[in-house]
Amino acid sequence: MDNRKEEFESTCNLFINSISNYFKHLTEIDSDMKVPYLKESQGLILKDFTGMIGISGGRKGFVYISANKDMFADLINMFIGIEDPADEDILDMAGEISNVVAGNVRANLGANFMISVPTVFKGMPEELEIPEDVLVYVIPISWKGHEAFVVIGLD
Amino acid sequence: MKKRLLIVDDSSVMRRTIEKNLQEYDLEIIGQASNGVEAIDIVKDEMPDVVTLDITMPEMDGIACLEEIMKIHPETKVMIITALSDKLTGLTALDKGARGFMFKPVNSDDLAKAFDKLLKRNG
Repeated sequence: MDNRKEEFESTCNLFINSISNYFKHLTEIDSDMKVPYLKESQGLILKDFTGMIGISGGRKGFVYISANKDMFADLINMFIGIEDPADEDILDMAGEISNVVAGNVRANLGANFMISVPTVFKGMPEELEIPEDVLVYVIPISWKGHEAFVVIGLD
Repeated sequence: MKKRLLIVDDSSVMRRTIEKNLQEYDLEIIGQASNGVEAIDIVKDEMPDVVTLDITMPEMDGIACLEEIMKIHPETKVMIITALSDKLTGLTALDKGARGFMFKPVNSDDLAKAFDKLLKRNG
């Protein structure tokens, strides 16, 4: 179990580096990582808008990024200058961040770490299949005062 | 004469970000597509000179789309812009005819450097 946990935490560090790089490279503003923790209970930790990526290949699981509208709207405003984006754009932004954060991990884990196109949703999804028997790691982050969660579930 | 550009990415925000950052270049944006199938339709009709192409997309992914573009119009200058940041993905894209690749996240400086090189190199 200890080896499994160590390997899992090592993989989670790749995601931490990936999300840090995303904000730093695109906005030149650092994000702050709070203390990550293993999630013991069932159920999802969600903010208002979420982008989720399925992981297959050598590892199986998921990663999602969930935040309130303000954070995604702030990013959209920085990128394309729209101050009050529609929910459709907010969901698109959530999907794109999750895609980049998951895709960048392949630099270390290789092409056998396969990712899906993003699934995006507002609030609690009506249907969502989450694999069982996965360790779920929650990384709370803060960027420009906006709070968000990066949640990683891997076998 | 302006080069004609097609932007292909399943993220609408990403497509508009690329469009905004390439405004200073001598490019006419002739279309945007959110997947490979839409992109192929536009390529057949419009024969763009330059295509920015994402890889992870629904319907048809970027690598399959690249192969089709090379069959239809091999002179098309395809710049892959993908989050899949492993070497194999980049090398596969080059092997299949892409003129360059960039790993997301890409900022305005990254795009400028890549397009300076792409447009200068290809005239």
